[in-house]
Amino acid sequence: MNNIVVFGGSSHPSLVEKICGNLGIKPSQVKLGKFSNGETSISIGESVREKDVYVIQSGCGHVNDNFIELLILLNACKTASASRVTAVMPYFCYSRQPDIPYTAKGAPLISKPKETYTFESVPGTPVPSMATTQKPRVPSDGPISSSNIDNTTTSESSNLEHPEPVRSSEGGDLHKSPSQSRIPMVPERKENSSELGSLFNANNAGYKLWVAQAGTLVANLLTTAGADHVITMDLHDSQFQGFFDIPVDNLYSKPIAHNYIQYNIPEYKEAVVVSPDAGGAKRAASLADSLGISFALIHKEKRSQLPKGPPDASLTSGGGAAVSGKPLIASVSSLALNSQEMRSSSSSSRYVQTTMLVGDVRNKTCILVDDLVDTSYTITRAAKLLKDQGATKVYALITHGVFSGDALNRVSMSAIDKIIVTNSVPQHKTVKFMGKDRVHVLDISQIFGESIRRIHNGESISMLFELGW
Amino acid sequence: MASNSIKLLSGNSHPELAETIAKTLGLSLSKIGVYQYSNKETSVTIGESIRDEDVYIIQTGSGQQEINDFLMELLILIHACKTASARRITAVIPNFPYARQDKKDKSRAPITAKLIANLLETAGCDHVITMDLHASQIQGFFHIPVDNLYAEPSVLNYIRTKTDIQNAILVSPDAGGAKRVASIADKLDLNFALIHKERQKANEVSRMVLVGDVRGKSCLLVDDMADTCGTLVKACDTLFENGAKEVIAVVTHGIFSGSAREKLRNSKISRMVCTNTLPVDLQLDIFDQIDISPTLAEAIRRLHNGESVSYLFTHAPA
Repeated sequence: MNNIVVFGGSSHPSLVEKICGNLGIKPSQVKLGKFSNGETSISIGESVREKDVYVIQSGCGHVNDNFIELLILLNACKTASASRVTAVMPYFCYSRQPDIPYTAKGAPLISKPKETYTFESVPGTPVPSMATTQKPRVPSDGPISSSNIDNTTTSESSNLEHPEPVRSSEGGDLHKSPSQSRIPMVPERKENSSELGSLFNANNAGYKLWVAQAGTLVANLLTTAGADHVITMDLHDSQFQGFFDIPVDNLYSKPIAHNYIQYNIPEYKEAVVVSPDAGGAKRAASLADSLGISFALIHKEKRSQLPKGPPDASLTSGGGAAVSGKPLIASVSSLALNSQEMRSSSSSSRYVQTTMLVGDVRNKTCILVDDLVDTSYTITRAAKLLKDQGATKVYALITHGVFSGDALNRVSMSAIDKIIVTNSVPQHKTVKFMGKDRVHVLDISQIFGESIRRIHNGESISMLFELGW
Repeated sequence: MASNSIKLLSGNSHPELAETIAKTLGLSLSKIGVYQYSNKETSVTIGESIRDEDVYIIQTGSGQQEINDFLMELLILIHACKTASARRITAVIPNFPYARQDKKDKSRAPITAKLIANLLETAGCDHVITMDLHASQIQGFFHIPVDNLYAEPSVLNYIRTKTDIQNAILVSPDAGGAKRVASIADKLDLNFALIHKERQKANEVSRMVLVGDVRGKSCLLVDDMADTCGTLVKACDTLFENGAKEVIAVVTHGIFSGSAREKLRNSKISRMVCTNTLPVDLQLDIFDQIDISPTLAEAIRRLHNGESVSYLFTHAPA
């Protein structure tokens, strides 16, 4: 391996070690740190002139810090005359691109919205220095200012029960800084959804609230920083590759997942591969196909009607849904109230969310397949539904186990019997939390090592997509 | 016809400053939501239409844990406005982040300031307003117009009104700042002295030599930023050793990272003055602040109306 230099970012050092071990080289010297004002500082310890440089950084942990660090590393290598710079991102941050700020499925927000807006039906077209644009503020609102420290502190204290503060707030000197309002809080789901519900259910006929999609931006930033090539795995959307003007190699974890199922799940031929949502159906179906086993799908439906009777929001699930032998729709719409359901907003929303299972899982082992588990709401709810529908055992097969917020709590309390997850994101916390018996970590360093070797030598990597590797 | 309208957006880095600027302009901040998902990715929601608007995004480079979060916020905000068909997007960055990493001072060192400039342009920024860049050459890192405003007029006002100007001498804590200090000294018609420091590594200062006479004088120590305050405190000690009567430190960007607060509290420094380009919460009696939001607001107003900005280089709007 001549002329190859592999740098690891600070996000996932153990994976870097493993990938380098597979390549038979040592990770190159790089000092990563921060200046006292918080700015990222790096210093590259060996020459990269005319070298083929690989920078490994996963999109986990403190995502923005790690991402900026990656950009600085790429740029430093590029300006130090590296012949080619490749960004290796086992988990690609910002790849999910949720399109509304909060859904039952999506990630809950850490911070509360600072203003309880009331959106005007017609977007204002203010003239400069005009008072007509001054919108009447709801008295209790928290405008983006420090005058609402009371507001934020109360919300902070109300969230003290949440076990894992994601961002430390020990810096007392940051007292007045906005970090206050950004104090990690994963609010109660109901509270949160109603809050954002009010944000969305305002009769804003003229303007539709939207969330910025950072995907293109992240792709462009990488290119700007000097990346010539990107290697990643199981992108949430395969279209993401199209955002880049540089080659992107999207590797698949399917071969090793396939292997694991074959050798470690007893009587896997009788098992059912289940996709927890419609978006992952294709991925799950292809795994089911290659294993030659059957496939089921959990479908979430938003129905615009009021539930009959008192709202049954307590997540009762369709235990009573006798579906034995029913070929297709297990819990039909008449059972909507019995099946897992929740009101997406407690106050004004008229949408009822229904989860239904398509396919038969009674007395079978189920393998839930998803590319990304973040808040774990989707997968834990799916596991519960499967158990309620008579599944004997539920495995969850996940590529990227981000497990943010109190996701680990939720997963460990859930009906999932075993989690199989790759080490694209550090998993020692998961293993520690859930115990070795319930978690199996698949090592993807071999795939990445081999792909780096092949890309470096100019060989084809399509063989890595094949089975039996 | 394109409407001649303006939108002010604020990130999470310095909402107070954004509010003040908005108030000065007689506008209200646009409704946006900048949040963080529990997986720590940044999420930006734009709450009103900005199609064909002249958009100003106020985000400073602050926060010790969050500086990169704020940077990503800014980039995502710019990109969001771009994709929402804003006519022009101006990033108002009072304290430019990574401004000190502006040269390849050793092999393979990253020129991060240049990278940030490129990232801002990639995100879709059309114009940048900043203040007292650490090195004004950073303007050359951009391919878009950069208005580097000066806090100097406001600082001059402060010195004229709130210090013992008859008995004052200006002091630059390092050779790099000599030019900045000399210019202020000229305008106030005061003498100036220089401290030469020998730096061994970043954020550490070893030895200081004073050039000039400060005996019995009220020393105005002027610099562009105060970070860990190691330099400031040592310079202050050097000045007192050389017979200074009092030492007033005046800086543009008060970062005050690490143990800066402790250092300042234990120092003999008479007064610590900085502008509000960054949120500061020192809680020290010796601390005083200069409001530069009128300058930023006026720059935004002039830029929006297509007027010259150079007036602001020499005058501080009230």
